[in-house]
Amino acid sequence: MNDSRSFNWQGWSVFGALLLLWECASRFNPDLQLYLPPVSQILGTLARLIVSGQIVTHLAITFTRFLEGYFLAAVIAVILGAVLGYFRFAHSLFETVIEFLRPMPSVAIIPVAVLLLGIGDSMIVAVTVYASLWPVLINTIDGVRHTERTLIDTGRTFGLSRRRLLWQVVLPAASPYIVTGLRVSLSIALILVTTGEMVAGSRGLGFFILDQERSMNSGNMYAGIILVAGLGYLLNRLFLLCEERAMKWRHGMIAREAV
Amino acid sequence: MRESRFNGVLFLIGLLLVWELVAQAELINPLIVPPLSRILRIFAELFWSGHIPLQILASMKRALLGYFLAAAVFIPLGISMGLSQTVYRLFEVVVEMLRPVPPPVMIPVALLFFGLEDEMKIFVIFFSCAWPILLNALDGARNVDRVLLNTARTFGLPQRKIIWNVILPASSPQIMTGLKVSLPIMLILVVISEMVGSTDGIGYFILDSQRRFRIAQMYAGMFALAILGYTLNQVFSLLYKLVMPWHVALMRLRDGS
Repeated sequence: MNDSRSFNWQGWSVFGALLLLWECASRFNPDLQLYLPPVSQILGTLARLIVSGQIVTHLAITFTRFLEGYFLAAVIAVILGAVLGYFRFAHSLFETVIEFLRPMPSVAIIPVAVLLLGIGDSMIVAVTVYASLWPVLINTIDGVRHTERTLIDTGRTFGLSRRRLLWQVVLPAASPYIVTGLRVSLSIALILVTTGEMVAGSRGLGFFILDQERSMNSGNMYAGIILVAGLGYLLNRLFLLCEERAMKWRHGMIAREAV
Repeated sequence: MRESRFNGVLFLIGLLLVWELVAQAELINPLIVPPLSRILRIFAELFWSGHIPLQILASMKRALLGYFLAAAVFIPLGISMGLSQTVYRLFEVVVEMLRPVPPPVMIPVALLFFGLEDEMKIFVIFFSCAWPILLNALDGARNVDRVLLNTARTFGLPQRKIIWNVILPASSPQIMTGLKVSLPIMLILVVISEMVGSTDGIGYFILDSQRRFRIAQMYAGMFALAILGYTLNQVFSLLYKLVMPWHVALMRLRDGS
């Protein structure tokens, strides 16, 4: 993004100044401390919560739910998207259903999920799957449909079976689209896991954060938020790393085309 | 294309019919899956009595306030970050630190400061719409055609005029993209924040109906929400065509050639 790769000291000093302002405002104003404890205190709380293991359990639970929901959604969406993108007839059947369901904000499904599955892991995972399904599904359909006819025809000429055509021609050609969908879904999945835990959960970081707010432990609440943000940041980084590895062949191709 | 539409609508109607029949035959617990006809009847009742429109109005007031506030703050910030390397470097770290926070997690913080008031939801929506709007405005301003800028400079346009007459129009397609992406996010966050802490609004209405076991009413609320989402999208596309007819024409031209 930035051509000068040097350390951004201006940015970090603005960030540091803001933290310092927060620290001072809170230290010299006892009224504010209830809502906004000093940064140093929050970091101390975070360290204590991690060492005591109290917050680690919540983190592990949230992370497990995220992984289950995200990967389940990815697998279902890619398979379904490939089928709907490849077979015109299937697409014509489901097109309207998809258009009908998509404008509804996915979180509205939470009450239905609570009704069907009660409160617990399966409800939260189901809601996460539902919400993170859409971007991958839509992108996969688009990607498969936009696969160049020449590629498919070439594959056919060489006598590839339908299954091999799908695996070795269509899916690789659609993969840039699929990856875009997967990236969008990543943050959606985290949003849905934490929301599910807040609305109807008894464990997990979302629950922990809201619960600490309700019992006016604002220090614990902020510590939880820092942890969730850290989780989101790490997941994003991990995704970019995997993407770069997996899509290396494509970067090479684009570079060659440009030449 | 016409035929595929026909297939799809037929299939949808078929699915809804199956729902109705399954529910009528009570194959699934009718408490959980009421017949479609009952849901639609209750929706009509709640719609004409003004109950659902009032809830939607309450939600939309909060949602749009947060949305426009975010647009008013983050479009100018994004443009200045895109134009000036100094401004970009000043804010980069703060933005990168705040961006990974999943927006619903800000709800407890907002609850702490604002309680159950409207300001709580407005803040949460403001926060969550901020990033797509900011990053798109930034990208748009950064990628303005150099030739355009240099031409304007050559003709001696003052900086203020360059921003208004060159940069803003040139980056407006991308600014609109940011606004478009933020629209569903806005709707999601208003629903979540009303579910977690509110006494009215469509999100509260749906969750409350479920807790009171008025299941048909819950589905009616979801139906209203889907219509709302669809309408918002349509209104946005319409505004897009009204505000930027030149861009629509340009895209059509590009697709045609």
